[in-house]
Amino acid sequence: MTLHTLFKKLAAVAALTLSVANINIAHAEDVPQEVRFAWAGGPRVWILGKIDKSFDKSFGAPVRWIPFATGADVLSLFAAKEIDIARFGSSPAVAGIARKLPIEIISVPEVIATSERLIGRKSKNINSIKDLEGKTVAYPPNSTAQYALELAIKVNRLDKSKIRLVPLKPADQVAAWKRGDIDAAYVWGPFTQQFEADGGHEIFVTKQLQKDGFLIYNNFVVRKEFAEKYPQLVVKFLRTYQEKVDQYKKDPDGSAQLIAKHLDIPFETARSVLTGLEYPSNTEQLTPAYLGNGATTPTSGIAKAAKDTANFLVEIGDLRKSDVPESFAPAINTTYLKQAVSK
Amino acid sequence: MSNSVNTRSQPGLSTTQRVAVSTGAVALVLGVWQLSGTLKWIDPLLLPPPTEIFQTTVDILADGYRQVSLWQHIWVSVLRATVAFAAAIATGIPLGLAMGLSQPVSAVLEPFVQFLRPLPKIALIPLTVVWFGIDEGSKFFLIYISCFLSVVVSAAAAAVGVSKNRIRAAQTLGANRYQVFTRVVLPNALPEIFTGVRLSIGIGWTSLIAAEMVAANSGLGWMVINAGTYLRTDVVMLGILLLGGIGYLFDLALVLLQRTFVPWAGRDA
Repeated sequence: MTLHTLFKKLAAVAALTLSVANINIAHAEDVPQEVRFAWAGGPRVWILGKIDKSFDKSFGAPVRWIPFATGADVLSLFAAKEIDIARFGSSPAVAGIARKLPIEIISVPEVIATSERLIGRKSKNINSIKDLEGKTVAYPPNSTAQYALELAIKVNRLDKSKIRLVPLKPADQVAAWKRGDIDAAYVWGPFTQQFEADGGHEIFVTKQLQKDGFLIYNNFVVRKEFAEKYPQLVVKFLRTYQEKVDQYKKDPDGSAQLIAKHLDIPFETARSVLTGLEYPSNTEQLTPAYLGNGATTPTSGIAKAAKDTANFLVEIGDLRKSDVPESFAPAINTTYLKQAVSK
Repeated sequence: MSNSVNTRSQPGLSTTQRVAVSTGAVALVLGVWQLSGTLKWIDPLLLPPPTEIFQTTVDILADGYRQVSLWQHIWVSVLRATVAFAAAIATGIPLGLAMGLSQPVSAVLEPFVQFLRPLPKIALIPLTVVWFGIDEGSKFFLIYISCFLSVVVSAAAAAVGVSKNRIRAAQTLGANRYQVFTRVVLPNALPEIFTGVRLSIGIGWTSLIAAEMVAANSGLGWMVINAGTYLRTDVVMLGILLLGGIGYLFDLALVLLQRTFVPWAGRDA
């Protein structure tokens, strides 16, 4: 092949690539090539949509499920524009919004009730949260469990300086528990069950914080740019998710079975995590107790909870006071929820 | 002779010119970096400009980070590292020399050292909790092990590298084994051992981050990781600057020690 013909061929390939790219750009106006979900790998209701591909079907575009380990990873993934929609905890989401990451809360699919708990060692006579003073307590760093633990210490007026708090990832907590290095741990399933099987028992659950006015939840968060480009897709996402919640509520055990099989985890673990969460419906979420309907959003439960969380993160030194917005309402977008409930 | 890189003074740049060029280069980078933030070329969240990092430094000096003062973070990290470095040097050099001087010792230890040395030490994190728990032991171990192995290898190489002719010459002159070691092997191996220690301490300082990923509540490595989880990129950058600066100071201290104790380094006849 002469150099001349080689160039000709290259030019032809380049032209072809360009035209293909053009078609893609034209096509991308209504449906993206793929939608990227960030998921934590745990048993959650939306996994039902991963199994039967109902999200892919309703979007008319394939969904790529991108795994993450902690909420911190989600923030980095959003900053790098590597994900479009994420389901993760309230405290990392609040941190991201305060740090002016271009993201929006579109829904609060799960309120943490009993899925995250404080487990104490029986042999150390830890029978209530008051017994934590003088003990070593582990928590997963930058998680809703850490937030719950710090709040539990505060609302129960424990002397924090007398408690040794150790940041440990759940798997490391299991190792430290076995060695006898920690006396208690605030974490989620399946780890809570492992501790209970190994000399531990429950002394506090996140739901108990609700009576003190603290709501700890997981939220669906979108990348603003993505949602503005594909608003209908976001609406479809919320509708499809609601269908999955309905499917779960109709048959909790069957759904847990499906999810456990898909994730290759024990059925009991999947069931206990799934039943440990509360699932406000899309309609309920539009009430002032949760996100509000736009007009009521500034005084809504979640706007308040987000602000509380941010203030708390400032108090423990993870966020700068100057970073915390006056209100979190501008970062809560209920237009998609409203469209999702109007048939 | 410059400190960090052993470039011989070449004709063309005087020391003053060299300093001027280096200062200019740093100033240029800082200037472009600041402009990138001021002119909004890059989102300050992704790359906080120097002024923001300066402001953060002022804030943290005043209030500390996570209820721990900045000095405390620096002190904790330097202490962890220094203790581990000292232990690695105190155990690594004798072991390395023994490997370099004795074939049987070398044959026994070589496979282990060569297996462990290139192993990424981060892979050991899950084991450190299981083995050493959540206290200082696990942090010490991670820094120690990454530093120790390269000290051993470089000390062994230095001992092997001592000219056989010199040893034979000393033996011919009637030196016993002890004298050969103290008068020939050690003086000839020391410059290379120092270089090895400098490299090892660089590696050890790097693994500080890995060490402070395990159950830490203070320290510069922990500060960087924790700030990263809340997207506090300004604190992350501050931590990186401090880690780099302190690593540089460690190296400078070693160069000074080298000049004091091994003034003959690099002047081999």
